[in-house]
Amino acid sequence: MSAIETQHLTKSYGARRGIRDIELSVNPGEIFGFLGPNGAGKSTTIRVLLGFLKASSGSATILGHDCWKDSTHARQVIGYVSGDIRLYPWLTLDRALKFVGLVRKTDIRPFGLELAERFQLERHVPVGRMSKGNRQKLGLILALAHRPQVAILDEPTSGLDPLMQDVLGECLREMADEGRTVFFSSHTLSEVETLCKRIAIVRDGSIVACEDLDTLRNQAPRIVRITFESAIAASSVQWPDFVRLQQHRKAVCELQINGSAVKFISWAAGQPIVDISVSRPNLETVFRKFYEDRQPGGA
Amino acid sequence: MRGLLFKIYLETRWPVFCFGLGLAFIMAVLTWVLPTVLGDIEQIFKTIPIIKPLITALLGVNPDSELSAQMTQAFLWVHPTVLSILWAHEIMYCTRSPAGEIDRGTIDFLLGLPVSRWKLHCAETVGWLISGIVIVGIGILGHILTAQRFAAEMQPSLRVVVFILCNLLSMYVAVGSMAMLVSAMSDHRNRAIGVVFAILLVSFLLNFLAQFWKPAQPWARLSILEYYRPAEIMQTGMMPWQNITVLLMSGLTFWTSAALILRRRSICTV
Repeated sequence: MSAIETQHLTKSYGARRGIRDIELSVNPGEIFGFLGPNGAGKSTTIRVLLGFLKASSGSATILGHDCWKDSTHARQVIGYVSGDIRLYPWLTLDRALKFVGLVRKTDIRPFGLELAERFQLERHVPVGRMSKGNRQKLGLILALAHRPQVAILDEPTSGLDPLMQDVLGECLREMADEGRTVFFSSHTLSEVETLCKRIAIVRDGSIVACEDLDTLRNQAPRIVRITFESAIAASSVQWPDFVRLQQHRKAVCELQINGSAVKFISWAAGQPIVDISVSRPNLETVFRKFYEDRQPGGA
Repeated sequence: MRGLLFKIYLETRWPVFCFGLGLAFIMAVLTWVLPTVLGDIEQIFKTIPIIKPLITALLGVNPDSELSAQMTQAFLWVHPTVLSILWAHEIMYCTRSPAGEIDRGTIDFLLGLPVSRWKLHCAETVGWLISGIVIVGIGILGHILTAQRFAAEMQPSLRVVVFILCNLLSMYVAVGSMAMLVSAMSDHRNRAIGVVFAILLVSFLLNFLAQFWKPAQPWARLSILEYYRPAEIMQTGMMPWQNITVLLMSGLTFWTSAALILRRRSICTV
């Protein structure tokens, strides 16, 4: 059984764009990245998963629980935090652990305090006097303290410093190692790239790609920097059709290649080249590629 | 439910205590001064004739030329300040959730927990009813203590007080559940407060308008004060079952509608 599954999930807001035909299947123990720019439909999808919004059509389940009809049971196994978290100003860590523990009918205090130590959060400061980063830490602690089967994190690193982002990454990897699932929504590509093995890219309310990261990387163009023996050699070269010249400065050319690097290296072997570097395609390249593809019909 | 009640207690204990103290203070002051002020009512009626229909509208009965001790007591229970304090508390309390929670964005955190909307509605209702009883209880304490020390004619009979309280609390139920309904339909607390305040104001004014303008008289039945008549209770000594039934049935209708709307609606804070 999938930890999270959606089928033809659609939510329309009339004239405003919602989400269309979202098909997702997230496996238990997986850290799944959900990428897209602002307004693409990430938060709407998450809000449907949490039962805040009723889908116009399609279905969504979390560990077999229907996200609308059985959302209370679904949320029993979920830990959720949003990037723009708003908490009650009177909440301190202690009060929050007591309140959430009472609601969840379980003692979340021991693991909550352990997480607070890892995130370096003070226990007695109320939310009203916390910085944005500390509020975010508290939100994360409350989302993870009951050891949820599924963590749904909507831009969770918002406001966290790089060290705390690393701590969060560690916590999430530990979760995944224990067979629990993380649904990680973000528009920050680098953090998704370091955490997730599989991602979905959402654009204009639809999934445009849902692949292993390695597969997506293979689809991405690579940037190659070649240094020729001389500027004359560089300007007289005949480029093959799978190469696109991006920049040319004296003897140095920056190219974009589509397809296998092996083919390019075979071609380059016959050229008057003194140096060559082929970059590893990163997720940003893939991401931008998917966004460029929408022109000219897209919004 | 315990978790939600814990949250409600932390959020509302001080406002409830303050509203209670405010009501106790007002009721104590009114208990003290009303016999003196209303003792000379005939003179007031002569000097400012408009006062008489206003008092008639509030009491629901014609005070004639002089007010009996009973009528003076009744005036305490319908005094606009007393009603305003009670209604202000209701409007503040009953628009907290979901309108207030959506407005400040905390509903995401709350509903991210395994809390059903039905349970949320019920917990808010429990808090609202308890807080009303606490506020009215503190208010009555102010009245009783003052009546015993300073104004013997204002000492209430227990039976009558119980009947008036039943009528008052059924009005409390009707007004609060109406505020809950407006809140369930709204994403903005200020807007919800504005709508409830406007409805109450119109309802209140309708009662007065009916005294001066004949075409408004058939509409007076829509006024909430039409069903809250302490003066009649004092005159007859009977429980106003009809008025209480109307108020409770309206309350039940509003409350159930609020629960259904809250359960079915989409909640969006972005």
